[in-house]
Amino acid sequence: MRAFDFAVPHDIDDALGLARDESAFLAGGTTLVDLMKLEVVSPEQVIDINRLPLHGIRPEPDGLRVGALERMEDVARHPAVAGPYPVIAQALLASASPQLRNMASIGGNLLQRTRCGYFRDVATPCNKRSPGTGCPAQHGDNRGHAILGTSASCAATHPSDLAVALVALEASVRLRGADGERTMPLADFYLPPGDTPHVENRLRPGELITEVIVPPLPWAGRSRYVKVRDRQSYEFALASAAVAVDLHDGEVRDARVAVGGVGTVPWRLPAVEDALRAGRSHEEAAALAAAGARPLAGNAFKVTLVQRAILRALTELAGPR
Amino acid sequence: MRSVNREDGPVKVTGAARYAADHHPEGLAYGYLITSTVARGTILGMDTAPAERAPGVIAVYTPFNPLRLHPYTQADTAELLPPLQDDRVCYYGQVIGLVVAETFEQARDAAALVTTRYDAERPRASFTAGLPNATPPSGGTPETDVLAPGVTSIDEALAASDVSITETYTTPAETHVAMEPHATVASWTGDRLTVHTASQGVRLPVERLTESLGIDAAQIHVINPYVGGGFGNKWGTWAHTPLTAAAARALGRPVKTVLTREQVFTVIGHRPITSQTVSLGAAADGTLVAVKNDGISSKSAANDFYESVADLSLALYGSANLHVSRKVVTMDVPATTIMRAPAESNGSFALESAMDELADALGMDPLDLRLKNDTPSHPVSGLPWSSKHLEECYRVGAERFGWSRRSPRPGTVTDGDWLVGLGMATATFGASRGEASIEVRLRDDGRAVVSGAAADLGTGQSTVFAILAAEVLGIPVDRVTPVLGDSATPPAAKAGGSGSTSANGPAVRLAAEAAKEAVVKLAAEHEKSPFRGEAVTYADGEVRGGGDAMPFGELLALLGVPEVEVTATSPRHPRREHAFRSFGAHFCEVRVNRWTGEPRVARWLCVVDAGTIVNVKTARSQIAGGVVMGIGQALLEDLRIEPDTGRFGNATMADYLVPVNTDIPPIDVEFLNYPDTVLSDLGARGIGELSIVGAAGAVANAVHNATGRRVRDLPITLDKLL
Ligand SMILES: Cc1cc2nc3c(=O)[nH]c(=O)nc-3n(C[C@H](O)[C@H](O)[C@H](O)COP(=O)(O)OP(=O)(O)OC[C@H]3O[C@@H](n4cnc5c(N)ncnc54)[C@H](O)[C@@H]3O)c2cc1C
Ligand code: SF4
Repeated sequence: MRAFDFAVPHDIDDALGLARDESAFLAGGTTLVDLMKLEVVSPEQVIDINRLPLHGIRPEPDGLRVGALERMEDVARHPAVAGPYPVIAQALLASASPQLRNMASIGGNLLQRTRCGYFRDVATPCNKRSPGTGCPAQHGDNRGHAILGTSASCAATHPSDLAVALVALEASVRLRGADGERTMPLADFYLPPGDTPHVENRLRPGELITEVIVPPLPWAGRSRYVKVRDRQSYEFALASAAVAVDLHDGEVRDARVAVGGVGTVPWRLPAVEDALRAGRSHEEAAALAAAGARPLAGNAFKVTLVQRAILRALTELAGPR
Repeated sequence: MRSVNREDGPVKVTGAARYAADHHPEGLAYGYLITSTVARGTILGMDTAPAERAPGVIAVYTPFNPLRLHPYTQADTAELLPPLQDDRVCYYGQVIGLVVAETFEQARDAAALVTTRYDAERPRASFTAGLPNATPPSGGTPETDVLAPGVTSIDEALAASDVSITETYTTPAETHVAMEPHATVASWTGDRLTVHTASQGVRLPVERLTESLGIDAAQIHVINPYVGGGFGNKWGTWAHTPLTAAAARALGRPVKTVLTREQVFTVIGHRPITSQTVSLGAAADGTLVAVKNDGISSKSAANDFYESVADLSLALYGSANLHVSRKVVTMDVPATTIMRAPAESNGSFALESAMDELADALGMDPLDLRLKNDTPSHPVSGLPWSSKHLEECYRVGAERFGWSRRSPRPGTVTDGDWLVGLGMATATFGASRGEASIEVRLRDDGRAVVSGAAADLGTGQSTVFAILAAEVLGIPVDRVTPVLGDSATPPAAKAGGSGSTSANGPAVRLAAEAAKEAVVKLAAEHEKSPFRGEAVTYADGEVRGGGDAMPFGELLALLGVPEVEVTATSPRHPRREHAFRSFGAHFCEVRVNRWTGEPRVARWLCVVDAGTIVNVKTARSQIAGGVVMGIGQALLEDLRIEPDTGRFGNATMADYLVPVNTDIPPIDVEFLNYPDTVLSDLGARGIGELSIVGAAGAVANAVHNATGRRVRDLPITLDKLL
């Protein structure tokens, strides 16, 4: 870890005023401090945002609002989340460990960095960490890597479980920078790697995530997050599926499906949703999940696994079909 | 059976126990290792100037500015060469430098400023690619054959058997991930060296330091009473230890070097990769007539350790014809070394899987097949087992686990979305009784101090010392102070080969008996003794004579003798007339998700025949711990080597998966507790490694029973079951 300046602003404008290009905001620190220790990131200034008023879990007419500094565990356990949006609560509770969830914030969760082993090891090249140095994962250790949205420059997965659930629910993020405030769908917020894997999202330097907004979806009470991994806990997803279904008399009338652990960004699957809406069988619908997949040597199994994860979620929500 | 709380439990739970890295002698400087980022080649140069200028830096040692270390002369499970003595790189992550600074952070930050230029060569980093060129091990026996009269080859015996199977089984590299990272703190007083270093036996670093520093063993004092797990990786004395001691000598101040988690993966050795091609031939009734295992192990170019992985096939089931071969694939990877049940745990995965496959081919219950081939004597030497109750393990286990509920048809039992299977395997591990010396001091405060240069890696060994001494001395266990991990105490058995209790236990008893005799003699002869001239005896912690009795502590106080000190040595057992092994039976239930393929272990039973159990509480933990590690071996552990670079692809604790709590079901452990009186009066064999042996085979067999899929390449991950 390199030496850095440390600031603890008490209001949002102060925080935004302090921010420079080489600053990093500190929330729970479970990603930031980790990466600073590994020297994957070495900010000159760390701005602790924990005193900022970015709290609150409030159901409002236009949707559920969750402050960026709310902790993962608190959000998962909140009745305004667990009842109407089980998929969010399940995604959170399947993440990390209780200790980490008590520290880690919602804003930080959405901005966590990939778990690609090359990204995290500064002795190796990595386009995402050091643009232009190459992507050893293409021919190296890539069992955990993405099969969807990849490029020759990068095949790293976005690791957040929460983001997968939020994308399925068409959630938005509120951003605030020195130039003002904007809101954008989370699905648009994330950027696939293309030739610039170091640019992961549309957040501008010095901009804060202030809030997450989950629009109302009356049938989201029937939703499920299936996370598949080698061990039963404390591991990122090999594949995951966030699924909600609108079920009438055993028939799926509408559905939301997004998958994780397989995409370079949280991956919504409109084709699968359309197929379900059109009354196709679960198998037929799930078979569309990996369309366009580009597996690497070590992760071809994810093509099947992601379909199975969706099938498992659908079966648990709607019974076998 | 006794169940005694760990003597060292309170200090460990409260954090008062001081591990190697917890020592901060006056004037301490901090070392940080620099490691290579190529797997094979020559170091052309290292730019250390920026590091030398960095704040707090005291010294930067590299092959171009080395600390002089003499060549190692004794074989060890660690490396063959001391660090920094030449410019060659033999593996990715090799120690190529040491930065010493005023603080740990300064040393670490300076180390990051050192740049290294290599002339890199293509490493031999693929085991699979090396298989066709596998060679017989240098110095080892390439093949062992035992053939029935008139049989000319094992293949002939196989061809003549009613039923046979042949399959190849592989196991990946594994690493120990003990909780405590390796650390060495070295300080010199004149020409005397004091070292706190994580070790499975304090005399091991003494040997390494003697040869590499060129000083006498008498000048070296190694102290390490608490060890945060070893599993074999603290047997070898690794590069950082001599380097740190040499730096402390050169700088004239104490130096501490603690490995980072990531460094532990490469600076310390790993379990080799293995491949076994096993053929079993049997008569129609299940009697084995041919057992053949061609075993191949990876071996690091940096040292000579490999696993004789097929050898277990010579030692477990009776067969008229046996054949084993041994080969190695030499690779440019970190040292290959011992890890819990070296060779036997990998060996049993293949053998126990093959037995299941043979049972299938015979249409026989796998338990019946094992019962059929249980043997009263060693299959090769013909020597009778000293004490063997394996059949009882099988029967007790089958009853207790509900083995009869196993469906003979794989893939037929389901519970919701889960396919359910039962599996079993034999547990076994070699047993011995080494030489051990123990000192007992009876003190005038009524306490007994029992010392020996043994190690307690979390096994419960120190509590065993206390229990056995207390029993002989007739005092409560908490009046005994065990002292382990100090090289100034007598040479007790180190923690390895499951031989601590079998060797040290008898020695503790001998020494305690001798201490009793010494205090009796003192009572009878000392001029101030009230028992002088009486016929003195000792019982229940008291000296008795002439109708009077006095606790030994009171007597010593009265006589003004602070303590009575004796040392006794229990000799090595020559093992000429018997063969020695511990045995057991594993039973497990595994569930596999029918959609996503995750295998999850739901129930476990291990029935153990390991001789006398000295402390059932810690023994149970040892057995359960071995099962946990076996479940990791079966389902998760896989140290991946990148074929192009020789770099470990997952050398972090986030990426190298070991079980977490939710992966582990309730583990039921049953001890038969028959003393092995041929091995020693105490009758204890060993339990440290026994239960990892067979565990992976039991899981693989249960996975097959659940799904009909036979996975022959560990670990059994969900992608192999989709
Ligand atoms: C061992 C381990 C296991 C884990 N397992 C999982 C898992 O299974 N699933 C999963 O989803 N996650 C997992 N995580 C990741 C964890 O969820 C994230 O580290 C955590 O959510 C990050 O939140 P934080 O508040 O600690 O963020 P920080 O570390 O404080 O910040 C992370 C990043 O976000 C920025 N940031 C934080 N808040 C804001 C804001 N409001 N506005 C702008 N920028 C901001 C920071 O500058 C930094 O770049 C795991 C982490 C660890 C260490
Ligand atoms: S996959 Fe992406 S993060 Fe990983 S090495 Fe390649 S560029 Fe870096």
